[in-house]
Amino acid sequence: MNKLLLFLFLLPKGLYRSLGADINHLKAILKVKLMLDDRRPLSMGRAPQAKKKPIRFMTALGVFMSMIIGFMYILPLMLEDTIMGLWLYATVFLLMFSFMLISDFSTVLFDTRDKTILLPRPINERTLLLSRLLHMFIYLFRIVFPMSLAGWIFMGATKGWLAAIWFPFLVLMLTIVALFLVNACYLLILRFAKPGKFKDIVNYFQIAFSIFFFACIYLLPRVIDSQDFQSLKHTDFEWAILTPTYWLAASFTWVEADKLSSATQWISILAVLGPAILVWLTIKYLSPSFSKGIANIDTVSVEAETPKVTIQTGKKSAAQLYLKLANWLNASALGKAGFSIAWLQTSRSRNFKMRVFPSFGFVPVYFFYLITMNQSNSMVETWEKLPETKTFVLLLYMSSFVVMNLLTMLVHSDQYKASWIYYSSPIARPGEVMLGAFKAVWVKYFLPMFAIVSLFVLYVWGPKTLIDIALALTNITVFALGILRVAYRKLPFSALELMKEKGNRFFKTMFIMLLPTSLGFGHYWTTITPWLWWMKIVFIILSSILLWLLWDSYKNTSWDEVKKMDLSA
Amino acid sequence: MQPIISLQNVSKQYGDNTVLNNVDLEIFPGQIIGYIGPNGAGKSTTVKILTGVIQDYTGTVLLNGKDIREDILGLKQMIGYVPELAELYDLLTPNEYLHFVGALYHLPDAIIKERSTKILQSFGLFEHIDQRMDSFSKGMRQKVLLTAGILHNPSIVILDEPMSGLDANAVIVVKELMQVLKQEGKTIFYCSHMMDVVEKVSDRIVLIDKGSIIANDTIEVLREGSTHSLEKIFAQMTTSENLNETAGNIAQAMNDK
Repeated sequence: MNKLLLFLFLLPKGLYRSLGADINHLKAILKVKLMLDDRRPLSMGRAPQAKKKPIRFMTALGVFMSMIIGFMYILPLMLEDTIMGLWLYATVFLLMFSFMLISDFSTVLFDTRDKTILLPRPINERTLLLSRLLHMFIYLFRIVFPMSLAGWIFMGATKGWLAAIWFPFLVLMLTIVALFLVNACYLLILRFAKPGKFKDIVNYFQIAFSIFFFACIYLLPRVIDSQDFQSLKHTDFEWAILTPTYWLAASFTWVEADKLSSATQWISILAVLGPAILVWLTIKYLSPSFSKGIANIDTVSVEAETPKVTIQTGKKSAAQLYLKLANWLNASALGKAGFSIAWLQTSRSRNFKMRVFPSFGFVPVYFFYLITMNQSNSMVETWEKLPETKTFVLLLYMSSFVVMNLLTMLVHSDQYKASWIYYSSPIARPGEVMLGAFKAVWVKYFLPMFAIVSLFVLYVWGPKTLIDIALALTNITVFALGILRVAYRKLPFSALELMKEKGNRFFKTMFIMLLPTSLGFGHYWTTITPWLWWMKIVFIILSSILLWLLWDSYKNTSWDEVKKMDLSA
Repeated sequence: MQPIISLQNVSKQYGDNTVLNNVDLEIFPGQIIGYIGPNGAGKSTTVKILTGVIQDYTGTVLLNGKDIREDILGLKQMIGYVPELAELYDLLTPNEYLHFVGALYHLPDAIIKERSTKILQSFGLFEHIDQRMDSFSKGMRQKVLLTAGILHNPSIVILDEPMSGLDANAVIVVKELMQVLKQEGKTIFYCSHMMDVVEKVSDRIVLIDKGSIIANDTIEVLREGSTHSLEKIFAQMTTSENLNETAGNIAQAMNDK
């Protein structure tokens, strides 16, 4: 893939040479950059952490993902009203693409290593500039081309060859608008946040993107299938005229003139004019202040040599909270240590947030998806009939969605090497540290989320569900400790996450996955059979006993057991 | 006098690769031991055994005359370790990290606070005590690790390249610190490649090569009456190559004629 891209983009050698670039340099730089791209995790994929085996073919995977996303977009193109369809297509394309760029582009734009690796070498400025530009183009091409492929073929097949010629124009203009949006967005972040915070904010964008992406996959087809949607007309939305994506959709009248009234046809001029103005704005105003901003990002790492004095006083209360909780929930010093490190580390690790926070968003999306499975009902009907259903059991157990991620990220970290400290400290039973860490994430992430879900369940289904909430809580905790006991008997943040789990662990994990399912089904069974209500109490007792056993066993984890787990990983 | 640490016939293998080969070594309290050797000689493995990280070696390690396998926690409690690579959870602040480490050594909060404040103040790092360490320079991290290493008042301090990344003033502080700790009767096990420092601060110099100890004496004895520097002695004992010639060959490689 890379070789092909490199070959294609280096075809106009004569042009580059006449611009003053050194072709050998250019090729060498681009080759390395593309190789690096290949080994960097995708914004939309789960970040693979394996460093032992090189991550490869991320580009091919990215292209494939973009193609799939592209398929999703063509759904609106099937609408009867072509302009409406195109408007929606362009809008979804633009939003998705911008989101993707905001979360991913920064790594392409601000490769700060350039400063130390490339700048001291005898490379002329033109070559450097051109390499950056070409890299950016290749990067964009790799997303845009596969993403628009489905739409292109669809338009060509249904609207004829003129539409097929017109379509790349639409995509090009959309790319320009997206670039402008991303530039503006970065600039806003840079203006209102400290340079050091930039990466954190981009991180939140990535989290939002993955939730948005997930929601689109699950909910978009559902919405599009509905009757109301099929009959949408662009004339129903007068404000549409104000959106650039509408101008672009309107330019379809160049292909089929009868699609719009002549009164609004002039709008299509904006399809060319708008992006042209945006390009001018980007070059004239955004880019210069942007470079300054980037320069600031760069200097952060330099400033690190002499950081300013920042003794936090305002954050004392928040700090006190975790210390209070640590003391309150742990009897031993080791438990407190585990609790503190897990609490602090999870607050600050970008990787942790990236992996865990999206799963909080998945829960409502997935629940919404499941309750609207019955297509015959409208949204209002579905909502009104909700209390009659037993879906609350599902919802309660769905909160264990976050559990897997939470626990994986509790033992894995890219700073796993710092865990030497456990091995040289006088720790008699590492289980105490491990249980302390478990308590921290449980209290900090799972319980608040479960509380919100419970409140929702109580609101919709009433107080009779209290017993179900109690049963679900013990069952999920059993499930979590079960996973830890079987698959993750490791000290907090002490292991490097490998892309592939070993076989026996896989089966172990599969086995443990059966646990919540059977617990959940048992619970559900007692719910649909009214005379079995007393079984719930029996289940709570059984589940509590199991919980106590697991708790005790995990707490008493010995060094030998930790080492055995290390060896099997 | 009874040695505080005594290695008897200690060997360690990784597969077919013998890293330590029947090592015998006695370390007495109140001494600074300079532990030197070429890359891959077995220094780190020795340190890992002494810190209780590696336990599957053959032979015996005695701590105050007692086999450490019988009381590995007692050993760890007595030892303060500053590793070579500045690996720490750098999303924490020094304050948080030191409290975490202190808790692992079962120190009460008040003691941790008092000691870490005093030590960091001396290192000139106190004003950064509540700042996350991800923006710290290597030297600043090293100071935090040094603090963490001596926080629990260990009787044996193992320092693996403790000066790396430190500025000139901090190097003086650490060198002085070693002397002060020694006067308090503590044992310092100092691993380094900085031969001039090892030469100056060590009471004894232990040289390990290919898994075996090939020299163990004071610098004066090692010199055998000559005026050679430790650097020179080290080269003589660990390589048969003529290092000047090697340098010459490297320079020559760039002349294509």
